[in-house]
Amino acid sequence: MGDSLTECMEIFSQDGVQLKTAQASFVNYLNLVGTLYITEYANSNCRRCLEWKPNDVTVDSDVQDQEWAVVNTVQKRSRTYSESLPPDSTIKPKLLKVNFVDIKSFKTSNKNRQLTLFDGKSEIMCCFMFQHGNCDYLITVLRGMLKTIPAKRDKHLFIVIHDESLEAAQLDKSFAELNIFQDPPPTLWKLVKSFHDRPYETTLETFAKVTDYVYRSPEQRDIDDDQRELLHRSLTEYASSHSQGDYEVIAKVPELPERKDYPRGRPLSAEQWKNLQNHEGKIEDVEQIKLMIFRGGVAPNLRYEVWKYLLDYFPWNSTQAERQKLLCEKNDEYYNMKLQWKRMTKVQEDNFSDYRERKNLIEKDVNRTDRTMDFYAGDNNPNLQLLYDILMTYIMYNFDLGYVQGMSDLLSPILHLLKNEVDAFWCFVGFMNKISSNFDIDQAGMKEQLQNLHTLLGFIEPQLVNYLDKHDSGNMFFCFRWLLVWFKRELSYDDVMRLWEVLWTGLPCENFHLLVCVAILETEKQALMENNYGFTEILKHINDLCGKLDVAAVLVKAEGIFHQIKEAEHLTDNIRMILGLPLVGVQQCPEEILSTSPDSPDEDLYERVYDSMQHVMT
Amino acid sequence: MAKTYDYLFKLLLIGDSGVGKTCVLFRFSEDAFNTTFISTIGIDFKIRTIDLDGKKIKLQIWDTAGQERFRTITTAYYRGAMGIMLVYDITNEKSFENIKNWIRNIEENASADVEKMLLGNKCELEEKRQVSKERGEQLAIEYGIKFIETSAKASIRVEEAFFTLARDIKAKMEKKLEASNPPKGGHQLKATEPQRKPTNWLSRCTLL
Ligand SMILES: Nc1nc2c(ncn2[C@@H]2O[C@H](COP(=O)(O)OP(=O)(O)OP(=O)(O)O)[C@@H](O)[C@H]2O)c(=O)[nH]1
Ligand SMILES: [Mg+2]
Repeated sequence: MGDSLTECMEIFSQDGVQLKTAQASFVNYLNLVGTLYITEYANSNCRRCLEWKPNDVTVDSDVQDQEWAVVNTVQKRSRTYSESLPPDSTIKPKLLKVNFVDIKSFKTSNKNRQLTLFDGKSEIMCCFMFQHGNCDYLITVLRGMLKTIPAKRDKHLFIVIHDESLEAAQLDKSFAELNIFQDPPPTLWKLVKSFHDRPYETTLETFAKVTDYVYRSPEQRDIDDDQRELLHRSLTEYASSHSQGDYEVIAKVPELPERKDYPRGRPLSAEQWKNLQNHEGKIEDVEQIKLMIFRGGVAPNLRYEVWKYLLDYFPWNSTQAERQKLLCEKNDEYYNMKLQWKRMTKVQEDNFSDYRERKNLIEKDVNRTDRTMDFYAGDNNPNLQLLYDILMTYIMYNFDLGYVQGMSDLLSPILHLLKNEVDAFWCFVGFMNKISSNFDIDQAGMKEQLQNLHTLLGFIEPQLVNYLDKHDSGNMFFCFRWLLVWFKRELSYDDVMRLWEVLWTGLPCENFHLLVCVAILETEKQALMENNYGFTEILKHINDLCGKLDVAAVLVKAEGIFHQIKEAEHLTDNIRMILGLPLVGVQQCPEEILSTSPDSPDEDLYERVYDSMQHVMT
Repeated sequence: MAKTYDYLFKLLLIGDSGVGKTCVLFRFSEDAFNTTFISTIGIDFKIRTIDLDGKKIKLQIWDTAGQERFRTITTAYYRGAMGIMLVYDITNEKSFENIKNWIRNIEENASADVEKMLLGNKCELEEKRQVSKERGEQLAIEYGIKFIETSAKASIRVEEAFFTLARDIKAKMEKKLEASNPPKGGHQLKATEPQRKPTNWLSRCTLL
């Protein structure tokens, strides 16, 4: 077999490349600087490879047989190394070699100074740091040799399409998965349809077309990233299970890691809050504060102050003096906007139907917002006027969004807590900034969330999702109210405040509120399925949970689910994207975590706070 | 599970936000009126079983959110509705003008033969009236549907409205049944058969 090695051609090489990550057997070579090659073998299945060789090899390797280590391929030790280096070589450098066919995606980071290769099973194959400049040129060369699609959501990530892997069997799976989308492009949809009718023929005939569709004309056809990702995933999943030989139309449900309990902590106390401010009144360790709030919420008597930070009215790093100044400015700004509508004349109003429409909605809703609470009860209650004025001023602040039902529900607890028109307005603005997509004209934000909820639930409770799909409830519309006003209609006032402040921290991941939904649905799974509830009963059952939810228990469960997902071996990029988790492999580079998701603190801090709270509690 | 009714009708309440859909439904299902009511987010339904010509009819009445923005979600629930109440507020001109948009909405999303009815609510507020009773009647005639003015607050003709709609659905349904199931052996058979056939027909309707 060795003769093939003589026919090896070096296509490209780059010096000054440091090995940052590789499989375990390369531990001795980590951080060494070497040369990266693209080589081509004439008579081999794996024609092209990326190879890396350290510069000067003083490494005391315990590998005696001078073997090529082939990273992550089916046939390990395919060839011996002896013939490619002079046999008399006294040093025994190990070469790291990655076959092109095994590269499923690659990503640049750190201003293109770093290149990471992935094998499609969410594993890093290897990661290189380019010490002299960047890897732009290498990427250009790679993209010339590999068919790649840049991911739309991450312009630094390139997904590799391998023609060889387009075999019929894998398509079963990819089509089954594609089918979960409700609005696929018409072409795909047709394929999925006929696939159902004539599975094998359609598969064979059309997958090539789909691939063309995905690969050949990305400019002309704007394929949705999720679908692209799915195609990619199904390809790579197939490739990785290829060696097992048997194919299944329905993917087996992989085991999730064990669910752990993360007991709730105590609410952030006034004393703790004080201690975390410096002499100027700045919050020094924002992440720590957020974590404490995430774990236990805020003590009720402290909410008045802390909510202003959580809702981005006060910057965390502002000094007492700066906040004082800010208050004055925000006060003026508010009253300026308020005057704009207050001064509107009757004629102006008559000629301004968009404004009138918004105003009418507000008038109706103010009269229907938390009227059973003392604070808003009774006729001519001045607090209703405050509610009204703030919402009207918000129209002037964001006329395009205007007023949408549900907004008064979001403002009500804030105004009730702060009891100050200007403060409540700005905090409401902060809240709206966090969830304004809930109120999109076309409801795109809500639809996306419902779809994401479906995806997440499918990861945790595939059985339940299957049941819902079969009972006309796969659109998850029965969770609409939960999501639109963040459980405001389902929970008591106190519980809503607790839940919201926890969610406002943005911890432990993006869209944690969807995991809250998953937690509740998981709890109700038995009731829904054992009673064999249909479309109407499911809706009724969910609507009737109003007033029966235990926020603390739900949060414990949701957090447990989060960790389960995060640690799951079969975690997909789709789920990572929903939760804002770093995409494949990035977790290895701490500086990236901070740059990609500023809100997720590192594990250490997490453990630290968690431990310290445990102490407090016991 | 033993059925406690002969027929199940799915009804739907639609109309602009604030016209009183939830209040009308609450009046009908609980015979009460509550001024501390909240706006409807998403969708919900209530049940009331009524007696109609010796038949027990279970009305499943769906209450939708009125705001335009939520329409993509609420129209998903139009499917399978057998009767639709179009509600406007007689003290709000705009809500009356919008009825024609709602009708278009029904045409696009509900089955073609759905029974419709027009309700002018808040009719006790005579001093604030903006839409005359005649205009309501005129519009109903245009669309060939029935019309009633109601007040959820003062409990005026709410019962009548729902009973009328239910009766019309029942009549339509029985006419269809007769057409698809012509009597063979005279009256005898008719008396025994309907017990089974209607449920078949209905289960097809409500399955959707
Ligand atoms: N005077 C009077 N007021 C009514 C009547 N029916 C409803 N209202 C009031 O009208 C307002 C709106 O009533 P809802 O039943 O909540 O309106 P809706 O049509 O359900 O509105 P959405 O849920 O937003 O679509 C409330 O403040 C009610 O108190 C009525 O018959 N007379
Ligand atoms: Mg309502």
